[in-house]
Amino acid sequence: MHVIETQNLYKEYTQKFSKQKVNALNDFTFNVEQGEIFGLLGPNGAGKTTLIKILLAITFPTNGSAKLFGTDVKNHKAKTKVGYLPENHKFPSYLTGEQVLKYYGQLSGMSAGTDMNKRIDEMLGMMNLTQWRNTKIKKYSKGMMQKLGLAQSMLSDPDLIFLDEPTDGVDPIGRKEIRDILAQIKSRGKTIFLNSHLLSEVEMICDRVAILNKGDLIKEGNVDDLTKAENIFAIHTVDTLTMDVKQKVLAIDGNAGIGEKEINTEAGIDKLNGIIDSLRSNGVKIQTVNQKTSTLEELFINVIKKDNTN
Amino acid sequence: MLTIIQNTFREALAKKIFIGYYIFYAIVILIMIFLVNMDSVEGVMSLADSKMLVHQVETGFLTISWNLIIFFSLISTASFIPSMLEKGTIDLLISKPISRPMILISKYLGAVLFVFLSMVFLMGSIWLILSLKSGYWDPTFLLSILWLTLAFAVMYSIVVIIGLTTQSTVVAILVNFFLIFVLCPLLSVREAVIFSLVTNETVKFVFDFLYYLFPKPGEFRDITTSLINGEQINMWKSSVNAETSTFTISWLSPISSVLFLLVTMAYSVYYFAKKDY
Repeated sequence: MHVIETQNLYKEYTQKFSKQKVNALNDFTFNVEQGEIFGLLGPNGAGKTTLIKILLAITFPTNGSAKLFGTDVKNHKAKTKVGYLPENHKFPSYLTGEQVLKYYGQLSGMSAGTDMNKRIDEMLGMMNLTQWRNTKIKKYSKGMMQKLGLAQSMLSDPDLIFLDEPTDGVDPIGRKEIRDILAQIKSRGKTIFLNSHLLSEVEMICDRVAILNKGDLIKEGNVDDLTKAENIFAIHTVDTLTMDVKQKVLAIDGNAGIGEKEINTEAGIDKLNGIIDSLRSNGVKIQTVNQKTSTLEELFINVIKKDNTN
Repeated sequence: MLTIIQNTFREALAKKIFIGYYIFYAIVILIMIFLVNMDSVEGVMSLADSKMLVHQVETGFLTISWNLIIFFSLISTASFIPSMLEKGTIDLLISKPISRPMILISKYLGAVLFVFLSMVFLMGSIWLILSLKSGYWDPTFLLSILWLTLAFAVMYSIVVIIGLTTQSTVVAILVNFFLIFVLCPLLSVREAVIFSLVTNETVKFVFDFLYYLFPKPGEFRDITTSLINGEQINMWKSSVNAETSTFTISWLSPISSVLFLLVTMAYSVYYFAKKDY
């Protein structure tokens, strides 16, 4: 059973005044497995928040189906094991940090009592908010609110947590703390569905990502696989390359970048092997051969550009 | 459900308007303490006289304050629905394993329960003051707590539907103001006033239709005062005795108003359950 499962999701909005139809999601099918940290990427208006909202039945799809733990999201019981931190969440400002957690804990089905109080203590401690527990949240900073939101999403110990921009407004130290907490949650077999603009962060945290553009799923896969640049290799040698060897390499791949002890080629596997053979036959010792990787940010920009051009 | 009701109470208590609401009630109670003088009752008036005087004061008080109490209660609770629908709040609420109808009904019941307890405080205090001053303990006056709460519940269903569709507190208050102070009183006297000026049957039909369609918060007061004074209440149609010029209210007003409440709330629940947020 998949933790999240969608089948041909479509979402069409009608604009208020112009009555123009806008496609927020087109034929969106994907699954998320247990224990994964899944990242959702895309430019503004790509349909990321719409997808999360459909998965939580905050918005309804025009067509298609979505399931959480095998139960249709239209059934509110599907959300029993789910935590959610919305973007720009708004808690009742008249409550203290502790009261906020109690309120949302009870709404999540936790019963008031020792167990919930214990869990609240644990969460507030984890977020370094213990000393602020009895302070009205209208006095909290943006970062504190974000941490409280994260605590709220994790309070009932859900198996699946949706996080929409969890590090928004949090300082670098706080961000690191949040990343560590997410890693901790993952180590306990929980599934995290992350929507973030901070691609470096997604790259650090996520196992798998999906890139959306204009409602279409344009790329999906493991972060490691996606960031491997196709056909770009670097050969590092132990010996310094002689002029004669360099010319032989250039004869194989005229566009190869050649340094004192390094050769970069984008000419494909066959030419890479040709270069290696040539180096060996000339007695050059090879230290390493690496497939070059790009950052998630580079990949994201390239993929979006390509999609927009098409 | 209890969690949402409890939070609705917290929300009410946290709002500044709540202070204004209770200052208004405190003033009303103080007026009753200092202005209503029934000391002469002791040893002078018979029980029948003091009973009549208490009923007169109770009826007078309800006549003057009924619509104001309902309207103030609506003002103090009108923002509950729009604030629940704010982005960042509603998302979180719907993401919890609670059905949408349950969320809306809990919010509605929270507001009604809050007003009920306020009525217990206000009407209970007034009843206590009158009873202590007169020595006549009239429990029928306490029925006003239930009838005021019911009248509020009916009018609050309008706040709910307007809050859901427009997300505006101001619009909800303005519509209620118009209904409580303009349209409903006008429709109540349509036979005596409007029909004497209009002869067209279609126009009369339209006024009749509107009368039966809209809730009648003012007529809840007439039912309450009739019950306090032990007067007769007709089953289906109000009537005027030409000889004595006495008006007899009917149960039709609360029945049609409660039907209005049920239909309005049913549509609100349906709308809320289907809406994208």
